[in-house]
Amino acid sequence: MIKSFIISGSGGQGVLSIGSILANIFMLNNLFVTYCTCYGAEMRGGAVNCEINMSDKEINTLQNEKVDFVVALNQASFDKFISKVKENGTMIINSSLAKILKPRNDIKYIFMPFSEEATKMGDIRMTNSIALGILAKLLGGFNFENVKKGYEKILSTKTELIQKNIEAYLLGYNYKMGEM
Amino acid sequence: MSEKVLLKGNIAIAKAALNCGCSCYFGYPITPQTEIGEYLSSKMQEKKLAYVCAESEVAAINMALGAATSGAKVMTSSSSCAVSLMQEALSYASSDELPIVLVNVMRAGPGQGYIFPSQGDYNQATIGGGNGDYKIIALSPSSVQECVDMTYKVFYLAQKYRNPVILLVDGLLGQMAEPITIEDNPYPNIDNSSWILNGAKNRASRNIHSLEPNPKKLEEHTLKLHKKYLEIEKNEVDWEEYNCENADYIITAFGSMARIAKGVSDYYKTKGVNFGVFRPKTLYPFPYERLRELSKKTKVFFDVEMNLGQMHKDVCQAISQNSQVFFIGRPAGEWLKQDEIIKAIDKIFEGQYATSI
Repeated sequence: MIKSFIISGSGGQGVLSIGSILANIFMLNNLFVTYCTCYGAEMRGGAVNCEINMSDKEINTLQNEKVDFVVALNQASFDKFISKVKENGTMIINSSLAKILKPRNDIKYIFMPFSEEATKMGDIRMTNSIALGILAKLLGGFNFENVKKGYEKILSTKTELIQKNIEAYLLGYNYKMGEM
Repeated sequence: MSEKVLLKGNIAIAKAALNCGCSCYFGYPITPQTEIGEYLSSKMQEKKLAYVCAESEVAAINMALGAATSGAKVMTSSSSCAVSLMQEALSYASSDELPIVLVNVMRAGPGQGYIFPSQGDYNQATIGGGNGDYKIIALSPSSVQECVDMTYKVFYLAQKYRNPVILLVDGLLGQMAEPITIEDNPYPNIDNSSWILNGAKNRASRNIHSLEPNPKKLEEHTLKLHKKYLEIEKNEVDWEEYNCENADYIITAFGSMARIAKGVSDYYKTKGVNFGVFRPKTLYPFPYERLRELSKKTKVFFDVEMNLGQMHKDVCQAISQNSQVFFIGRPAGEWLKQDEIIKAIDKIFEGQYATSI
């Protein structure tokens, strides 16, 4: 069963970090993965997105017309990718930086103020990990050890950040869906 | 077995090149292959190997030629419009019989085009733009794992045949990450002591050049090269077949398009139609014979490419007269997706001949 994802935001929000952490977690779970990044990530404030495919079989659909999940960390990403969500797919939105609007009625929406929650934690850079936690909860079947390993692979040189990011991940993971 | 790692195609190629003993790299940055040079710039300095960020692509490949005369394993990498600049040097390297590895991570053309995905350099790689009767071996990977395996192979083939080899990579593969394992280089080293220029100590002097004012000698040299190409065509043809035995239809595609084609094959399988996928791994030498054999049973072929029909002519040439080939393609810009290919095939089934989307 193939599942596809787009994670989008602006440069500096950590889109590619959680993208590659998620791809690594899938790999550690012995799944097939493809992970593509778009250009523009090198510029703070520039539009950044990445696309991930995950499957238990070899992946031949390298580019998707539409995807199962979109994580939008700002308004521009919401506007750009709302049409890319499959019917009955899910959009996870950072409501700190995007309006709570539901222009399509054939998809699920999860609004949560990731940036505000991250600021409450004392570090706005944790925005992305909170979003990853929510996505992990929705997907289910994540081995927590592999999540830790995924973070260690990507943040290996920044040990002090790993613990903080995992706390943020757990905050997202344990967020009660009713609160959204 | 080595541990799995998630790597971009470009980085995978750079790592594999180092693993199999590439000791000289010359390049000039261009998207979408810049990560190859970026990765090597630090690693080769650590290992005290030769890395030069050249002033132009013309300079880069000519530096590669020079270094290759010393017997070093050399590589340069670039992309489409900049590979155009290297055509003269490829003709020289072929005549000089220098083992050069050139990685071309394709972008969109013609001209400068842009960094969009494309497979527009099939003709450039297999026919080339240099002068004279020369051939460049060209391999095309369809996954990041194959980027590693084929990098090992192109270095080996270059040394084995003393010939330039191109690794023709889709821009998508260069930029896409997949879990891969990097095993050791499986190929043996080739003894090059009989021809390299390493100082004429205790031996007669040698020189390597393509200038030959004696008509008889020039003809002999070109015929010698030709004989080598026939040898390559006999020994090195490689391809992959996916459900091709007893297929009612076969899709021919190279590089990452072949993977999309497999998705198309899987889709038609659910509809009870047998679609095979035939993928040349070596673009030169092209697997004409095997394709001809398959066309004795399968009568309809669909050639799918991210260009307007470059491999198409080779497929047409390969298949028997009683078979036919429909072309489905799209020039660079937007990606040619699975749904579009299925739509195009269905249209052809309905009797509407499509040459491009």
